[in-house]
Amino acid sequence: MSASHWVVVSLLVVAAFAIRVAGLIAGERIRVSRQAWVLDELPGLIVVSLVASSLIGQPPPTWIAAGVALGAAIATNQVIVAMVLGMLAYAGLGWLSS
Amino acid sequence: MDESVNALAARNAYEAKRGAIAILPLALGASVYGLAFGFLAVQVGFPWWGVAIMSASTHAGSSQIIAVEQFASTGVVLGAVLAGASLNLRYVGIIASLSEVLAGLSLRKKLFAIHITGDENWALTMSERAKSPDVGAPFLIGSGLVNISMWTASTTLGALLGAALPDLGRFGLSFAFTAAFIAMARGLWRGRSQVLPWTMAAAATMAVISLGMPKAYGIIVGAFFGLVVTFLKRRIEAAAR
Repeated sequence: MSASHWVVVSLLVVAAFAIRVAGLIAGERIRVSRQAWVLDELPGLIVVSLVASSLIGQPPPTWIAAGVALGAAIATNQVIVAMVLGMLAYAGLGWLSS
Repeated sequence: MDESVNALAARNAYEAKRGAIAILPLALGASVYGLAFGFLAVQVGFPWWGVAIMSASTHAGSSQIIAVEQFASTGVVLGAVLAGASLNLRYVGIIASLSEVLAGLSLRKKLFAIHITGDENWALTMSERAKSPDVGAPFLIGSGLVNISMWTASTTLGALLGAALPDLGRFGLSFAFTAAFIAMARGLWRGRSQVLPWTMAAAATMAVISLGMPKAYGIIVGAFFGLVVTFLKRRIEAAAR
């Protein structure tokens, strides 16, 4: 591993951890402020945005598999059940369209 | 006194173990990306042990991938680090939202917990906490330890085995992340008041990505847009009262 590789890794470690510490400090300040509601809303908004980022630009079978996972999640509220059924739908639709 | 301390320690150990088991399927899904990243990193000059060190110390998923890709294509160290780090900015919001979960821990434990926190175990902890407020730091730490271990192991394995690996994506594993996060969104659902902010967050995320921006930026813009909509909604409702 060259010196440049070590520098990339070292700087990325510092940057990634600094971002997390910034979040820790921000969270502790917001929690005792009038804007504490932000901390309640953030998880759902970030998760929904993560899902949206995974689905945008995907072909119809992926959206259908996402619909299956959503249906299973609504029906059971169990992560594993929704995940397994979604993956089965995704693999099955992929197999059918190949 | 001793009995209550012992009972608390036993409960924390149980919760950590529960988190460690619950995260396994999600961590397995993330391993697909880990294998691909390890293979990519080796191709641009990282030894397998360098990949292991990077994954365990950085624990930054997509940021690692982008930093390595940028470094490989441009050779510019600072540009690669900035590109990787900027993709990790959503962790300001992710870690901030853990404020209540981490409250009461020592600073050392807090720093350890935020390092081992990834998308998967954070979302699982928040989703489980929405169902049961007793879910807290032990669950986060137990699931986080498995998450970072699986990430490090899978990236190292990808570096060692490289092209010999089968295409695991065709077995549906590459969809595991999306399916699991859909389910965790369901766990975080509190009612109709979230319809508009969530819809606007998803729409803003997709719009930003459609414009050609990286997914990670779309996530940040989407979550921020959702917060703005929530803020405006709260102001309007307060004014109506």
